[in-house]
Amino acid sequence: MESIEAEQLKRPNLNKSQKQRSFKGKGYLGGFLFVLPALVIFGLFLWLPIFKGVFNSFYIIDFVKGNTFNGFANYKTIFADPNVLISIKNTLYYMALALVIGFWVPIFFALCISEMRRFRGIARVAAYLPYVVPFVVLYGVWRWLYDPVGPINAVLKMIGIGQINFMVDRSWSMISIVIMETWQSFGSALLIYLAAILSVPRDWYEAAEIDGAGIWHRVRYITLPAIRNQIVLLLMLQLIATSQGFQTQYAMLDGGPNNATLTYALLIIRYAFVRQDYGVASALGVLMFLALSILAIIQYRMNNKGGIQ
Amino acid sequence: MKKYSIVLMSLLVFTLIVSACSSGNGGNKGTGNKGGANTPPTETTSEPPAEEDITQKKVKISIYYPTPDLVEARALEDDKIRRFNEVYPNVEIVKSDWQYNPNEIGIKMAANEAPTLFNTYATEGKFLAEKGWAADITELFSSYEFEDQMNPVLQDLFTIDGKKYGIAQRGYPTGVVVNKKLLENKNVELPPFNWTWEQMLQTAQAVSEPNAGISGIAPMGKGNEAGWNWTNFLFTAGGDIQQVNDGKVTAIFNSEAGIKALEFYHKLKWEANAIPQDWALGWGDAVGAFAQGRTAMVIAGPDGPVDQALNQGGMSIEDILVYPIPAYEQGGKHYGVLGGDFLVINPNATQDEQKIAFYYATFDYFSDNGLESLERNIQERVNDNKFFVPAVLNYYKADSEYGLKETELFNKYDNVYQYGQETLELIDGKPESQYNTQDFYGSMTNVIQEVFSSKNVNLQDQMNVVERFVQEKFYDTIEP
Repeated sequence: MESIEAEQLKRPNLNKSQKQRSFKGKGYLGGFLFVLPALVIFGLFLWLPIFKGVFNSFYIIDFVKGNTFNGFANYKTIFADPNVLISIKNTLYYMALALVIGFWVPIFFALCISEMRRFRGIARVAAYLPYVVPFVVLYGVWRWLYDPVGPINAVLKMIGIGQINFMVDRSWSMISIVIMETWQSFGSALLIYLAAILSVPRDWYEAAEIDGAGIWHRVRYITLPAIRNQIVLLLMLQLIATSQGFQTQYAMLDGGPNNATLTYALLIIRYAFVRQDYGVASALGVLMFLALSILAIIQYRMNNKGGIQ
Repeated sequence: MKKYSIVLMSLLVFTLIVSACSSGNGGNKGTGNKGGANTPPTETTSEPPAEEDITQKKVKISIYYPTPDLVEARALEDDKIRRFNEVYPNVEIVKSDWQYNPNEIGIKMAANEAPTLFNTYATEGKFLAEKGWAADITELFSSYEFEDQMNPVLQDLFTIDGKKYGIAQRGYPTGVVVNKKLLENKNVELPPFNWTWEQMLQTAQAVSEPNAGISGIAPMGKGNEAGWNWTNFLFTAGGDIQQVNDGKVTAIFNSEAGIKALEFYHKLKWEANAIPQDWALGWGDAVGAFAQGRTAMVIAGPDGPVDQALNQGGMSIEDILVYPIPAYEQGGKHYGVLGGDFLVINPNATQDEQKIAFYYATFDYFSDNGLESLERNIQERVNDNKFFVPAVLNYYKADSEYGLKETELFNKYDNVYQYGQETLELIDGKPESQYNTQDFYGSMTNVIQEVFSSKNVNLQDQMNVVERFVQEKFYDTIEP
């Protein structure tokens, strides 16, 4: 008891506000130091390139002779290029196809796997396996599958539909790419959906079954509402990802046939690395950044409303 | 006070990191000990410096090194490095895995990461020179004892406004590589070497078997290669890409010859059904299809497809024939787009590095050591059941003393592919256009894809559109 009193006597006599200020100051400084590495990394590798991109969009970029300011000329070039409109249409078409063909696939398979009583682990691994296939192998395999004398066309001919030139028929080329990408990537989304479905309390299903609910009603009234947050989140992420898609279009068809798979991001790549016109490429990037910001804001607002946790 | 010090220190560290990571000037200007971009180091003293012995200086250069799949080429390069270091022990040679790519060169130069000596293609001379990405090596060439014996057909492709920007290695006029065995299996008569478009069409049609996935010919239909392949037919029909008058560049490919060349492609697809059903093939796809026996003919620099068919496709040497591009009509020219491999010296390198890079590039040129090394390589290929495919054109003149020596060496070995004499006499290289060649090829690719996609395509409309596009988008922006 004596020692505590003695200790109190040694302490300086601080009033409440002084104590608070001292505590806050230390807290801010410590916190700032913790955040500093992240700030440096984000600043250098995320924010600086964004600002640099906006800056470059007003210049003719020349790595050797130096940059030249040219006002809005790069933006004028964009609006005068007919390929820009084609690429925007193609990108929207690609995004829509990815939704129609691909978005429901992982949800459907997650529901199926969640209903399995046996071999659930094997099914999960089997579904995820295509995701780890290297792209080069993936393109080679699907090029073979889509070949005019490949297995898919063999089946189509056998059932009387006839040959489809999946790669070079303009009405099929983008669809073929989306089917291939869906096969390759649905496994990762499936794992997220499956985890969400398995975390739904079993009691709810048991109660529903007692009330006479069948599989469809259980899915419709319990599972889908329970995983709504994941669906919205993955929808937003898919929209953002597909709006920037170019890799498969570039590797398999280089934007052809006759620009049928020329996406907006692929056009940026062409401007930057084929024509070496980094100024116009930056301007295209800035416009894309603005468009994607709208999607990001929607996602942020939904997040704030509690739509996504 | 202490916390302000820490904040200030943190800001200082942040500033230093930013400074270290940024180029500082958005370009290649101050490059430290590598010298300024495109600017040789200047002397500040008024007295001329004493001539320095380059063999007494420590110099480090990075060089183009073949890709891992080219085992034999790597062995040749390793041997060359060893022999070079015996003469120049003061030089450290770093092998660079980077292969020239027009889509990457800008980034490599901006980041100052391009090797001291890098490979490139015939199309790139003017582009690299104008961008300032190839060192002016005129002076080094002028003191080179074999300058006069270099093959002018190739070397001139990298001579721009009288200045030299590259060192020729090997080249080719584009030709047609034919799978003789496939033709024989289908009882299709081999066309004569001085063939015409019509004979090519008939041969392709006769050998084509779409249901079995075999095409008569695989004209490239994807990427800029599609335009490049088609340009051979534009040339043989008597057309050209552009015309330059007083610095003004005008598109002239929308001509009678251009329409004829498009009509020929249209016939190959819609009349003869002789091209692959999946015609979106780049260079690798088309050459791969040839090596797999899925197409009877492919249009390319001959050594590439021949090498792939022999060394990877397992075809035998007598089953492959190289033809010139067919003439439009009997007696016409067999023009093929001239292409090839060149070495370029990085302008960001110091004068010493540039000099050593030049010595390294030409180390085996016109030398008996080079021939001995080549012979050892051919002998090793004999043991590995591999073939050596020489280039159609080389850095030296074919009829020079050195050229005759090498021909004699090739004649000694059965595993060296020999081009037919008739082909060599007929084949005629035509250089590509001076300006925006790749842009032209890329633009033509869209038209070619339209021709292969739509039977009822209006060829003249397509040409009008692409001509206007190329003229306005590219040629009109060139300052006279």
